[in-house]
Amino acid sequence: MSTVPEALKLLQFGDSVFPVGAFSFSNGLETAVEHGAVHDRTTLQEFVRTVTRAAATGDGVALLVAHRAARAGDLDRIRAADEAVHLRKINEETRTMTVRMGRKLAEAAERVVGESLLRKRVAESGGGVPVTYPVALGVLFAELGVGEADAFAAHQYGAASMVLGAAVRLMRVDHLDTQSILFAVNERVGEDYEEVRTAGLDDMQSFAPHLDVLAGAHQHAHVRMFMS
Amino acid sequence: MTTLDSVRELAPYQDQPAQLPAAANGKVGILRLGFEWHEDQDRTILRDVFRQSPLLVQRALYWDEEMPGLPCVMILTTSGGVLQGDRLSIDVDLGPGAQAHLVTQAATKIQEMDANYGTQTQSFTLAEDAYLEFLPEPVIPFRRSRFVSDTVVRLPETATMLYAEVLQPGRKYYRDGEIFAYDLFSTTLRAHRPDGRPLFVEKFVIAPGRFPVTRIGMMDRFHVFGNVVLLTDPDRAARVFERTATPVWDERTPLATAVSRLPNDAGLVFKVLGQETEPVRAAVRAFCTAAREEVTGCTFPPVFSWR
Repeated sequence: MSTVPEALKLLQFGDSVFPVGAFSFSNGLETAVEHGAVHDRTTLQEFVRTVTRAAATGDGVALLVAHRAARAGDLDRIRAADEAVHLRKINEETRTMTVRMGRKLAEAAERVVGESLLRKRVAESGGGVPVTYPVALGVLFAELGVGEADAFAAHQYGAASMVLGAAVRLMRVDHLDTQSILFAVNERVGEDYEEVRTAGLDDMQSFAPHLDVLAGAHQHAHVRMFMS
Repeated sequence: MTTLDSVRELAPYQDQPAQLPAAANGKVGILRLGFEWHEDQDRTILRDVFRQSPLLVQRALYWDEEMPGLPCVMILTTSGGVLQGDRLSIDVDLGPGAQAHLVTQAATKIQEMDANYGTQTQSFTLAEDAYLEFLPEPVIPFRRSRFVSDTVVRLPETATMLYAEVLQPGRKYYRDGEIFAYDLFSTTLRAHRPDGRPLFVEKFVIAPGRFPVTRIGMMDRFHVFGNVVLLTDPDRAARVFERTATPVWDERTPLATAVSRLPNDAGLVFKVLGQETEPVRAAVRAFCTAAREEVTGCTFPPVFSWR
């Protein structure tokens, strides 16, 4: 169980309003709503679960690897995790999203926490492998003394709450609907963690071609509220 | 040779078939093809061939009237598809300026399995200005089949590779219909520069029994998935993007497509979802035609009426 200080750090940096710009992304939901693929509570919940599943088997693995690398003080391994994430973002908008949120998290952490491995990683990233969000989050939580399972949980919570935050603005659902969906989807985080905790960077994968097509179509939309 | 036996998704399937044991004689298919540009003949020739059944190739034919110097090579299998315990590997090498067109004779049928799995490693190495089209027929994973493939592409910026895969859900019209009844389909594609600098990685692990694929965000109501990767320099990629980028969202066919730029200026990826194979293949063909025209200045000849 987390102690009080760790629980507070988890709440602060895992909060959906922590200023990493999550509110400007919908992770494909905007196009899904436009085409009617998502149109009510049930379809929204299914969509969110697909997003969190892909986040667990892809970015979530990198977060765990980064967390362990940070605890071992292994900057090379952290960079390898960042590279693994970046190479697998084959869609432009999701690539922009992970790099932008990673940078914002690193900047915020520097202001709030101070000197850290994350700062070293940012300092050496210029022109090379960019800092990505899941890796930055893993490193930060490791340095704050938050355990890897809790860090993974915060990442999964963030993936779901990003889409649900966008949903309130994109379709006819209210805040209580989205909280119920979040509650239901969170039930799966524990089993996802058990499944991916033994995976390595080479095992990172996700199969979500429908999300990929929606994301690919989004960048051509004339009217957009969100950046993805 | 890389072995895929230890990948984590294969852990539940390490039992031996009741027939020939895995990787036994006759179950290790090897294909090695080396293409070279031949100045005197003004065409690319298939300089090196090594084949071991169940993989087989026919001689290079020059059937493409739009590109008469392009050797067209058809890959065959002597066993009617991928069987449990098969370990296949394909290794293709293109010298400077060489061009080649690789296809399969028929759909790749990953046969029903009750023990073990099949694997396939593919390696494509391209030299400066080489051009390779790898356009196999669709893949059909049968009920309870388990298949893992791993593909590595090495190429310099001046070279181009066009790689298209179409994945069917199973034998859709066989008996009561076989849709996503397979155990495991795992595929990895990675590309890097000759100096080792990585370009991108794409890995799917589809295990319909463990996590349903007919969900929104995965396959939704679609059954057939086309995935085309065009690795080429940024100028050519930009021209192909210009022609193909408008996304398709056709509710009636139905068909959905989208193009995206790969990381590290590696090229483009084109994704297609459909209910039936033909519309997906047509979309894939249209993208491939744009790619070939922009890269080589030549178009594709009409599709053979019997294919």
